[in-house]
Amino acid sequence: MQRHDAGVVLAPGDTTAVFEIYIKTTPERLWEAITDPKLRAKYTFGVETHSDWTPGSSYTSGVPGVIDIAAGENIEVDPPHRLVQSMNALWSDEARAEGTSVVTWEIVPVGDSCRLTVTHDQLRPDGNGEIYGGWPMILSGLKTLLETGESLTTPGSLRFAGAAA
Amino acid sequence: MDEVFKALADPTRRELLDRLFERDGQTLSALEEPLSMTRFGVMKHLKVLAEAHLVTTRKQGREKLHFLNPVPIQLVHERWVSKYARPWAETLTGLKRELED
Repeated sequence: MQRHDAGVVLAPGDTTAVFEIYIKTTPERLWEAITDPKLRAKYTFGVETHSDWTPGSSYTSGVPGVIDIAAGENIEVDPPHRLVQSMNALWSDEARAEGTSVVTWEIVPVGDSCRLTVTHDQLRPDGNGEIYGGWPMILSGLKTLLETGESLTTPGSLRFAGAAA
Repeated sequence: MDEVFKALADPTRRELLDRLFERDGQTLSALEEPLSMTRFGVMKHLKVLAEAHLVTTRKQGREKLHFLNPVPIQLVHERWVSKYARPWAETLTGLKRELED
């Protein structure tokens, strides 16, 4: 099927989770919402992600002075189409023990919308689902933000909002 | 959203999702094995699930693996549950701040 032509080809034995969402927006606005710390915080539980977004650069996610969420490298940066990042979860000892995984963001324009696919792979087999369990809420919050300009208010979505004040 | 409900309104398709929920990233052969159904029948069900974006596929070598995409179900949840959840979220956030202060 042509619409499943996303570029990620998995390595043998790879443990992977795939999340896909359609958002009525442009690839440029979607890219901005992923890479701008203030916009990003609106749908990632108040967590800011900082980086200069050049290939090979590092990024950090967290609420300054409150909690570190994740850190890693921007392996591939191809705005507004593709972003590949290594990810080390930092929010708990259990999360740290999961080691390094890889998150690939792919944006494909479809009509007046974009298909955003987040492929989280190189996960530890039978590892802690917490590592990738936040994606459905994050992506639905991203859709709400871009399509309505509002932030989600479901439980957990405001978890760290205002915590850094 | 119609496609999501149509896709979910069938026990075989729900069973396919259950099995991907249990173990994500399976081939067609692995999925059809416990079902008393032809390969063609299973393919038809997977197509309906894919059209509702509840299942996505990825290549791994020569194999095509099927993955459960939970995002459309999250959107259903947001649509009808968020209103009831809001006071809870505010209480929890307030409580957390209070405990931290």
